[in-house]
Amino acid sequence: MAFFLEGLTDAVQALLRLDPQVYEAAWRSVWVSSLALLLAGSVGVPVGIALARMSGPRARLLVIAIRASMALPTVFIGILCYGLFSRRGPLGPFDLLYTPWAIVIGELLLALPILISLTHGAIAALDPRVAETLATLGVSRWQRCCTYVSEARRGIVVAVLSAYARCVTELGIAIIVGGNIKGRTRTLATATAMETGMGEFGRGLAMGLLLLLTALAISFAVGYLSREERT
Amino acid sequence: MTQSLISVQDLQVVRKGRPICSVGALDIAPGDRLIVQGANGSGKTTLLRVLAGLERDYHGQCELGAREIRRVYVHQSPCMLRGTVLDNVTMGLRGNGHSRHDLRAHAGRLVEQGGLTSLLDTPARQLSGGEQRRVAIARALAAAPELLLLDEPFADLDADGGNAVCCLLASRPEMAVVIAAPGDTPLEKHTRIYRLVRSA
Repeated sequence: MAFFLEGLTDAVQALLRLDPQVYEAAWRSVWVSSLALLLAGSVGVPVGIALARMSGPRARLLVIAIRASMALPTVFIGILCYGLFSRRGPLGPFDLLYTPWAIVIGELLLALPILISLTHGAIAALDPRVAETLATLGVSRWQRCCTYVSEARRGIVVAVLSAYARCVTELGIAIIVGGNIKGRTRTLATATAMETGMGEFGRGLAMGLLLLLTALAISFAVGYLSREERT
Repeated sequence: MTQSLISVQDLQVVRKGRPICSVGALDIAPGDRLIVQGANGSGKTTLLRVLAGLERDYHGQCELGAREIRRVYVHQSPCMLRGTVLDNVTMGLRGNGHSRHDLRAHAGRLVEQGGLTSLLDTPARQLSGGEQRRVAIARALAAAPELLLLDEPFADLDADGGNAVCCLLASRPEMAVVIAAPGDTPLEKHTRIYRLVRSA
């Protein structure tokens, strides 16, 4: 217990003295995951909406496949990206391996099925009268899309923030394609694992606490943005 | 002779092996006021959905006249979209190059005819059932339909609400209106009545 309390004290001290190693990794985690989410969201949300408006066995099969890929282990995506970005891989000439951009692409692949699948679920659960009303009023495809997002915003907010939480806390992709290089590709999750492995339990705990705070902030954001409307 | 907007011939809609709507012959011309009457389960809603193009799985013919027409269907229990009455009424008009001011003025006129002037900026989902119904009809009229299909529009309206709907419909004499109703409606005069019988 004394060991744990000592580590906790070190962790709080590291956070309070604004330890640059801790906050640098935290900042990288935030921008890498935010960029990955922005890219994944701009594809995943429209695809989720389109899939929800499609019917037939092909669409159902596609939905099942995408749902299944929500459970892909991050190390598997990491290995896949490693194969793509390594010198002998198809994207080798771009020299992306061990850069933050490789982590962004890996996290994009991680977030995409979550966003498509949860957006699909949110739109498919809408009252069918919404689609019929829009169709019968003859609104444009773009306006229809905006109205679906507005009507299913609670589900879509949950989709976006779930994907963000998964990206910001993932370890496998960041380790495999990022390489945990100090000042370059180190994220909160990789730094936490490394510091703990090196016996720096306090600093590892500090980073773990920041991860926890990030998860809590996301959880509050989900609660706030998806709250019941009073109006 | 006036060209029909839409013609139905030997229409039958079958669900799970059971006919739920059967119509021999029905023509709807511009300016028609048609009331489809029938008991519960006689297929009034199904007929309106077929006429609106929302139901495509049927036997027989349901053909448009010479060209595609703008058909707007209002559900028996209308669906209010998120936003104010103004947002709802202008839903079918946005993106057509109208300014925000024009949209508000146009919606204001319709809402005034529907007796809801003071509610223009009220969230539509906060309105009573009867008010929502009138908003849905105003929203349908804003889309300038040539054929308006109303599913039991007088169901939960008081006398004033019923008059407001009649007033809204009277403002578009050139538009064909088909109303599904189980019994009498305030529009009985100057209308045709088509009686549906429950399919065997």
